[in-house]
Amino acid sequence: MTETWRLIDMKIENAPTQMAIDEAIAINRLPENNPNTIRLYRWKPSAVSIGYFQSLEKEVNLEECSRLGVDAIRRITGGGAVFHDYDGEITYSLVAPEADPKMPRDILASYQVICGAIVDGLRRRGVDAEFKPINDIAAGGKKISGNAQTRRHGVVLQHGTVLVDSDIPTMFKVLRVSDAKISDKMIKAVEDRVTNVRRYLGRKVPFTEARDALVSGFEETFDVHLEPGRLTAGEERTVEELKAKYTSSEWVHQR
Amino acid sequence: MKRAEYKVPGGKLLAAEVEEQSGTLISVKLVGDFFMHPEEAIIGLEEALAGSPLDEIDERVESFFSEGDITLYGVAPGDFVKVIRLALAS
Repeated sequence: MTETWRLIDMKIENAPTQMAIDEAIAINRLPENNPNTIRLYRWKPSAVSIGYFQSLEKEVNLEECSRLGVDAIRRITGGGAVFHDYDGEITYSLVAPEADPKMPRDILASYQVICGAIVDGLRRRGVDAEFKPINDIAAGGKKISGNAQTRRHGVVLQHGTVLVDSDIPTMFKVLRVSDAKISDKMIKAVEDRVTNVRRYLGRKVPFTEARDALVSGFEETFDVHLEPGRLTAGEERTVEELKAKYTSSEWVHQR
Repeated sequence: MKRAEYKVPGGKLLAAEVEEQSGTLISVKLVGDFFMHPEEAIIGLEEALAGSPLDEIDERVESFFSEGDITLYGVAPGDFVKVIRLALAS
């Protein structure tokens, strides 16, 4: 019989809430014996998330963010800065025990497996995506998804971005490109290294269509049925506790 | 405060901010888009380096990574030494 995992589907929340939910699911996975969980979600307002080890001021143009009403937040996962465009991006997260037979113990191998679900989903819509170690997915040689993983509380938490129709010029207004001289030529070069589903396919792909493809990608890759569900009362309580951390200046400006 | 960035060939971007006084590394902050598991180990690394004589940086980094169960992706222990040296020389 096919195993069932929980799907928390296309929840729209602000940056601190989204990050608190991912962490709350990871914290409660083993103590509450909850099912493995896939989340698909969007950020409202749009936000920049930076990796655990990154410097907020160096990575994010905070002035531009405040002008555009874009939020900025630090993740508990390493990796790089991501622009989560409300109108053009889907974020996913996966939580499963490190001991789960479907989860490679080796971190790099587990990136490949989990990113494989995104690659599968993108291919279902005609995007010839491929995994690019360590933690990227590319289409036509350009980045279309970035991913980041942490392991704590005995579980794997991986989240990542899928660029469906993200506004790439705005992305490079809110993100500071390290050491890249501010010349149009350079900005152009950086923009040329990123794509999205709409640019790749030359047609607009509605969120519902992208969502369906990603759900199928996860179901196929992990041989599971994704059953729509909700957070438990315990998870909701943890979310409320964690929101304070994610909104605190100590956390956001930590590095 | 002095700062340097270093892009690891085939890897991630690393930067160091250092305070130095008469041959001693007073403090260092290490930032970048690399991965370290567990993540909080970065604080231990910075603490292990604070107060280090400049000629002891290599061995302190080396012993920090040889003692702890720490996994790195996109950077190697020697890259931390390298970016700190670049920052000191900047």
